[in-house]
Amino acid sequence: MRLKKRPPDFVLFLTVLMLLCVGLVMVFSASQYVTMVRYGDSFYFFKRQLLWALLGLGAMVFMMNFNYNNLKRWIGPIVVTGFVLLTVVLIPGVGTETNGSQRWIDLGFMSFSPAEMVKLCLIMFVAFGLAKKGERIRDFKEGLLPYLVVMAIAAGLILKQPDLGTAMVLCGTIFIMLFAAGARLFHLGALGGAGVVMVGLAIALEPYRMSRFLAFLHPEADPQGTGYHIIQSLYALGSGGLFGMGLGQSKQKFLYLPENHTDFIFAITGEELGFIGASLIVLLFIMFVWRGLKIAVTSPDPFASLLAAGITSGISLQALMNMSVVTGSMPVTGVPLPFISYGGTSLLFTLIGIGIVLNISRFTNPR
Amino acid sequence: MKTTNILVRRRITCLFLLAAAFLSLIVVRLAWIQFVRGDELREQGMVNRMRDVPVEAKRGSILDRNGNELVTSISADSVYAIPNHIEKPDQVAAQLAPILLMDEAKVKQIITKKSRFEWLKRKVDFETSEKIKALKIDGIGFAEESKRYYKQETLAPHILGFTGTDNQGLMGMEAAYNKELKGIQGRIVIEHDAAGREIPQALHQYIPATQGNNLVLTLDQTIQHFVERELDKIVASYNPKMAVIIVMDPKTGEVLAMGNRPTFSPTKWREVPQSVWDRNPAVWYNYEPGSTFKIITAASALEENAVKPNDRFYDPGYYQIADRKIRCWKDGGHGSQSFAEVVENSCNPGFIQTGLNLGKEKFYKYIRAFGFGQTTGIGLPGEARGIMIPEKDATNLNIGTMSIGQSIAVTPIQLITAIGAVANGGNLMKPQLVKRVEDYKGNVVREFKPEQVRKVISNETTTTTNQLLENVVFKGTGRNAYVDGYRVAGKTGTAQVVAERGGYASGKYVASFAGFAPVNDPKISVLIMIAEPQGGNYYGGQVAAPVFSSLALDVLRYLGVPEQKNLPKPTKINPWDVEEERIEVAVPNVVNLPLEEAQKLLREAGLAFESKGQGKMVYGQIPESGALVLSGTTVILDLSSGTSQTKQGEQVSVPNLKGKTIREAGNLLESLGLKLEPSGSGLAETQNPAEGAKLTRGSAVKVEFKPPSSDQKT
Repeated sequence: MRLKKRPPDFVLFLTVLMLLCVGLVMVFSASQYVTMVRYGDSFYFFKRQLLWALLGLGAMVFMMNFNYNNLKRWIGPIVVTGFVLLTVVLIPGVGTETNGSQRWIDLGFMSFSPAEMVKLCLIMFVAFGLAKKGERIRDFKEGLLPYLVVMAIAAGLILKQPDLGTAMVLCGTIFIMLFAAGARLFHLGALGGAGVVMVGLAIALEPYRMSRFLAFLHPEADPQGTGYHIIQSLYALGSGGLFGMGLGQSKQKFLYLPENHTDFIFAITGEELGFIGASLIVLLFIMFVWRGLKIAVTSPDPFASLLAAGITSGISLQALMNMSVVTGSMPVTGVPLPFISYGGTSLLFTLIGIGIVLNISRFTNPR
Repeated sequence: MKTTNILVRRRITCLFLLAAAFLSLIVVRLAWIQFVRGDELREQGMVNRMRDVPVEAKRGSILDRNGNELVTSISADSVYAIPNHIEKPDQVAAQLAPILLMDEAKVKQIITKKSRFEWLKRKVDFETSEKIKALKIDGIGFAEESKRYYKQETLAPHILGFTGTDNQGLMGMEAAYNKELKGIQGRIVIEHDAAGREIPQALHQYIPATQGNNLVLTLDQTIQHFVERELDKIVASYNPKMAVIIVMDPKTGEVLAMGNRPTFSPTKWREVPQSVWDRNPAVWYNYEPGSTFKIITAASALEENAVKPNDRFYDPGYYQIADRKIRCWKDGGHGSQSFAEVVENSCNPGFIQTGLNLGKEKFYKYIRAFGFGQTTGIGLPGEARGIMIPEKDATNLNIGTMSIGQSIAVTPIQLITAIGAVANGGNLMKPQLVKRVEDYKGNVVREFKPEQVRKVISNETTTTTNQLLENVVFKGTGRNAYVDGYRVAGKTGTAQVVAERGGYASGKYVASFAGFAPVNDPKISVLIMIAEPQGGNYYGGQVAAPVFSSLALDVLRYLGVPEQKNLPKPTKINPWDVEEERIEVAVPNVVNLPLEEAQKLLREAGLAFESKGQGKMVYGQIPESGALVLSGTTVILDLSSGTSQTKQGEQVSVPNLKGKTIREAGNLLESLGLKLEPSGSGLAETQNPAEGAKLTRGSAVKVEFKPPSSDQKT
């Protein structure tokens, strides 16, 4: 084990910084009209997001210099805390209810979303466990089952909120990690099939999910109801064309596109910055995956490798889902676009994860 | 510690490729949305953000045949509210309510609605809108709308019709030609946010409205004035239930004027009963034409050679078909006369004979060919078809009565159109009200040319018929229609009003005159129909013919038709020497029949009825069965058992009959169960017993009739 540290991966750092900056600008542009109408302050969301970004960057720099190996000792308490918070948020009075789901714990000065934290906790837990198992991962009962059980509990609690999007991202990330760790493709295939069935059931059992699911296929059937989000999102993207309407020139942000600073910020980005701007963001994410996974491949030990791969894939999977929803390529599942969407807890834990990956990058083998 | 194994590295590489592939697909998807569907989505998004404020098109005008505006549109402000923009609804409501003359709570309710646009009040007057404009309230706006303006409010409202609040045509021409008149609505389009506020740097678009087309009618404003004037005079003199005058150009079928009473003002139509504005009697009212229909009988019979002007007829004073004796209006009959004289005298038996000579099949053929039983296609809403006994059910009695214009109901427009065909040489023209449709610049959009429906009778026949009809005015029953300086042809008519339950309504008449002038080159044909005139006079020759005389003179002079000098003048007409259609029927026996059956029998016999007492069986009837009475007489049905015998011997007091005609006196006495024993002719002079005397029912009253002294004028 080399103890001499190298500087962290500069490309990844820069990519993340660029995404973060685009995000801040877009949060301001997208939310400016809504906040003006609602709070009488165009900068209302921007100021909060800026604060969270600075806090997140601080956390990132801290984690960048915090030896990832020391994380192993904290995994137990972290996972327990995560689960406790995930349970607590469901207690009426503790968790704040917005739009019919209970996702946040109001801390007075800020709202905290435990699900965002639990995602990172579980990635660490699974990476730690799988790294220890080594070759035994090929055994279903011993290698896979424990993690699946933990994952199922977490996902179940998140679904209770309910937050299908985050639960899907969580399960997808763990699944990717099992794949990366070398689980047998037969097991993964069976698991994948089971997952599809479960998601299918989750959709079929909740009427609102079912109607949303159908709306994605034919949004124009109910333009004022279930198809509304997708149609307004497509109007925004379509209006953008190649070069976009220009920064700040979105028309769909005038209360037409709901969640335009959170889940649908990518649509406003596409409207204002056009195909060029939107594809550049996709490109930055491709770059992010490339650097993140490169760090995973070149990392010094299986724990680091799986941790970097898990964090990178978690963020990328969420980005992919978000952009698919915005472009009308999959049913509407409310997940924010990492780095870009408004949302403090999400940004904070994403940047903490990046800090961990950057820390791992300091121990990689140069090839 | 061992480094990451090969499998893990391969799997992670695989992951990267997958992620890169999926993310690339997003780029492809973006390209599809932003390039391929870009324009379409941008357009849809824009439409979605645009809110329309409609701009009403100026409704086209309605002009008379000479281009005089009858109805036009003027602009008026309408006040609307954008509830989202109103900050202090209470204060605004308090300010606006008194100016708009609206309830404050109502104003507040409107301006606090969850809506983007609400009308507060439509088409307010100039002062009101100026006052509100001066207040400069946010969220209160004005839209310029148009309002119908009638140059002469009382002119032809049934034809012009009227519009509703949204300027939609509701009746008359406004409804029939609504599509042409309304134009195409324009729009002001402004980009809004989803809550309805105008957004910064919003797109604005103004799509101007296209003004509606103008309608040029066949009406002549001046002739219409004459008609309205004559109608006013009729109302003043006779206060009839209904009156219709139609003036038509017989050669083209163009309606030059058409007026009705009762009438209304198009701006205040809500203030009169619906029955006044929702139908145009000239095209809707089915009535028995009476003797005016004899024109059709004569023309058809002459065309088929069923009769010649010199054929001899003998009128003993009645014509009997089956159990009915149809009386000539002249007591004792006209004796021996030629067909020409039959027409002049409007002799019922002569016409019945003519109709029967013509025969059912041919008579029906001509009735249909003249357009009866079907709508004329004049293009006004609510046109009726008239009522005809189906040909297969028609009996000889029906043919006989139809020959004198009974047992058939026609509309005024049908009759004047048919008479136009007699006047113009035999061509049935489609009646027309619209000459053309023009756009607002005056370019012709659609033109309606005179349309011949069919050739009904030959020129020769019409020449003969017209000669006969001219004599009606010159020396027959229509002498009151004579117009000094013009050759006039026409026919009077007096018919009983068909009761709602069948039979005839006793004492209710339709007086009419149909005629045309000048005979040698007809410029106008005119129908005057007065339903249920009040005040004693009800004969077509007395009531309607003088209207023709006065109207035709003004119209012919206005049209510049040259007067003919040295025309012979008709001899003076005696006021009582006017026709009166009478049908006598034998009262059927209805005693001991159920009420419904009795009513049915009486209805079929052309009698009215009235029930006395409670019950379902008829125990007595007055007059008794077998009595010959005028059709339309009321038969009193006694429904209380056990009293019927005493009823017969009941005492009644004799009314005052002085000044009544034979018919009036007879009707009055019959209704009391008394009999008339008349002597002489003219008006009742003396009676025996005198007024107030008690008589048992069934007794006779002797009345002497005398022509009134010559200083009495009517």
